[in-house]
Amino acid sequence: MKRSSGLALFSSTLALCTSAPAFAAQPGDPPNGIAKIETVVVIFAENRAFDNLYGHFPGADGIDKASKESLEQRDRDGSVLSELPPVWDGLTAKGVTPPVTQAMTEHLPNEPFTVNDEKGFNVPLSVVTHDLWHRYYQNQMQINGGKNDMFVAWADSGAMPMSNWDASKTDMWAVAQKYVLADHFFMGGFGGSFFNHQWLICACAPYYADADKNPAKPSISVTDDSGTALKVADNSPKSARDGIPKFVSDGNLTPDFYAVNTMQPPYQPSGNDPAPGGDPRVADPAKPTTLPPQTEPTIGDMLSLKRVSWAWYSGAWQYTLDHGNHTPTPNFQYHHQPFNYYANYAPGSEARREHLRDAGLSGVSFIQAIDDGALPQVSFYKPQGNLNEHSGYADIQAGDRHIADVVAHLEKSPQWPHMLVIVTYDENGGIWDHVAPPKGDRWGPGTRIPAIIVSPFAKHSYVDHTPYDTTSVLRFITERFELPVLHGIVVRDRAVAAHGEPPLGDLTGGLDLN
Amino acid sequence: MRKTKMDVDRIVALVTAAGIELTDRRRSARGDGWSLSFSNGAAVEVGDDGSVRVTGKGAKAVAKLLDLPTAPRGS
Repeated sequence: MKRSSGLALFSSTLALCTSAPAFAAQPGDPPNGIAKIETVVVIFAENRAFDNLYGHFPGADGIDKASKESLEQRDRDGSVLSELPPVWDGLTAKGVTPPVTQAMTEHLPNEPFTVNDEKGFNVPLSVVTHDLWHRYYQNQMQINGGKNDMFVAWADSGAMPMSNWDASKTDMWAVAQKYVLADHFFMGGFGGSFFNHQWLICACAPYYADADKNPAKPSISVTDDSGTALKVADNSPKSARDGIPKFVSDGNLTPDFYAVNTMQPPYQPSGNDPAPGGDPRVADPAKPTTLPPQTEPTIGDMLSLKRVSWAWYSGAWQYTLDHGNHTPTPNFQYHHQPFNYYANYAPGSEARREHLRDAGLSGVSFIQAIDDGALPQVSFYKPQGNLNEHSGYADIQAGDRHIADVVAHLEKSPQWPHMLVIVTYDENGGIWDHVAPPKGDRWGPGTRIPAIIVSPFAKHSYVDHTPYDTTSVLRFITERFELPVLHGIVVRDRAVAAHGEPPLGDLTGGLDLN
Repeated sequence: MRKTKMDVDRIVALVTAAGIELTDRRRSARGDGWSLSFSNGAAVEVGDDGSVRVTGKGAKAVAKLLDLPTAPRGS
């Protein structure tokens, strides 16, 4: 199979851009006053839907505003469930005491439930809970054309997608109250962390050429006639109350070889060891889960092209390279490092030395750069695993406090007077949200996620209803620094317009730049 | 090598509940079981006879989840 012509066309555009600034930002001119922002910081947490944390935020489009129909979940045959299935294997993670067992989650009403409700499970925000499927095809099946009524049906965790938290006492809730909470911000791609990190930096789907002729072949998914849903296996339980669904092939690759679920980086640190006797800096390319190096242009390439300084700060990056990974701390996540999939940032390259930086354990080096006023013009910060709020191995409280601490340092930074900070999540973590995502292109947008805009130019105590997705971060960076527009953004904008949806914003809806 | 009796679907459920994604599942080369890969780098060989062998970077964490004796690094 052949890849779409997008890469070839864009590569030509990229070459022209080096000598033809007329190709700079589209659509339209940058908003007035955007140049007042000199430093951009993107903080990327993990796996929370908007309603999961901010569903009761005053003034936001939260659970309280959802229709009864959007609250109800349907079974795999389309009928309304009489009650939610239990959380298979229990709501709390292994080792948590006291546990919330599967039996304790039987007979929940068919509606959202609050995990830390004192009259319910009363599980505090400091407890790690059961993880959920958050995968490319399942996310589309759960959204069900915008009705959001199949999250339980196509989950591997029973009732868990309908969980939410009272987060009103968290530190980041207070940050959102002080600045701007965007309540219509959607994840850029359907599915999980791997794919949405790619969307944050590339607005593209990674590609595995000739996947049907190498060890990755069994990882090619089998879809139904729609092309947007997995083909259900004959032995799959018919009802969500009977068990986890089974599919004919639920792999990492689409039938035309795009990588949409988690694959390992081709370079260390990677989940895959080097090949025996091979380059110790490289993951074994013969492993079926090693993604070949990618060549699609990224926002990093665009920034470098315009000589804008930038870095991806990763918590525990150097620790993991030097000492290997450890759990529960720092629990480094290999697939949360998107630039490590790209040939332009291969080990030994100057670009890697300059742009892929160690944030230190618990972000200490990143915080030092903040305090020193030494951040580049654009920074991405990825907290280490135990501080990223991901279900299954991290709790909400630790990550929330860590990110709020980083924000507090940013507010005191010498660079603060001209800074924009966006705190968002990579994806919903398989958790239900009641708002229909905008209709876009093949890859997304997916489920709604929280996003908080922090800046001295941010509107005060404001809920921004502008539609955004993960690529809105790229839109802002592109407009501010007058970069060539990544091909995936052009495609996304055209698709959204073709569906009659309002255009996705560039984050300036939350700012007062005048 | 760690040997114990366990069902492949049960292993997947226990490991993925802990936030460690399943990244590959296929029949083993010898056709006598399943080969599983996970996002933390762990590889699990599950025999049709119920035997389990955990290797790779994340083996220690996965072995703990499966209540197996801690696997040494790289085993």
